[in-house]
Amino acid sequence: MTYQVKEENNISTVFLNGEIDMDVTDKAKDAILPLIEAGKEVHINLKDVEYMDSSGISVLIESHQKATELGTKVTLKEISKSVLKVIMMAKLEQILNLD
Amino acid sequence: MEIKDQKEFPVDSASLKDVRNFARGLFDQVSEFEDNKEELVLALAEAAQNIVKHAYSGKPSGDTMRVEIQYQEKVLTMELFDKGMPVIPENIKPRKLTDIKAGGLGTFFIGQIMDEVVFKTTKEDWVNRLILTKRF
Repeated sequence: MTYQVKEENNISTVFLNGEIDMDVTDKAKDAILPLIEAGKEVHINLKDVEYMDSSGISVLIESHQKATELGTKVTLKEISKSVLKVIMMAKLEQILNLD
Repeated sequence: MEIKDQKEFPVDSASLKDVRNFARGLFDQVSEFEDNKEELVLALAEAAQNIVKHAYSGKPSGDTMRVEIQYQEKVLTMELFDKGMPVIPENIKPRKLTDIKAGGLGTFFIGQIMDEVVFKTTKEDWVNRLILTKRF
């Protein structure tokens, strides 16, 4: 997994890329959580994520919960078909902010 | 098309990608899996992840886990063997749908994707044996 962060109009967008599993969970959290902890609104762009398992979903859940706790927002953008399938299997489409 | 293969992988999170690619290589040969290949890969990978995370508590061991995949007579069987802490099937609980947390999500996914999930103890030198089955 690789990632890029872009800043625009006070929104940080994290572009995740590749396969997200237990082996890269810490790396994904390191990319996202400090932005949320800094109080920023965060977009997570998932268009180039080819595979995500329960560990990847846990990063999305933790990000969402941390943002809610700190009064900011995380939105999932351009969700790839394979990731959307897993989010829906986890019945999280009504809980996470999908765009 | 029928398939049958097995492979051992180090019990390590870095092996999960190799487990997935092993399965993909086999599943690509079966036209019946075309629509849900990645779901089957996910079920197997979640089971392998549970071995790393739970049977070995995420600690390095030098051990291997064995994955056996077989598709015969329209039945897919994926078996995983490990030498970690013995699994107590009664203690394995999938996440409740009302819980917004990740714990138990992998087990929940496996249950959603597969028709049957059975734990057995020991085969030859192994401690745990998980059998995942799906009929087509």
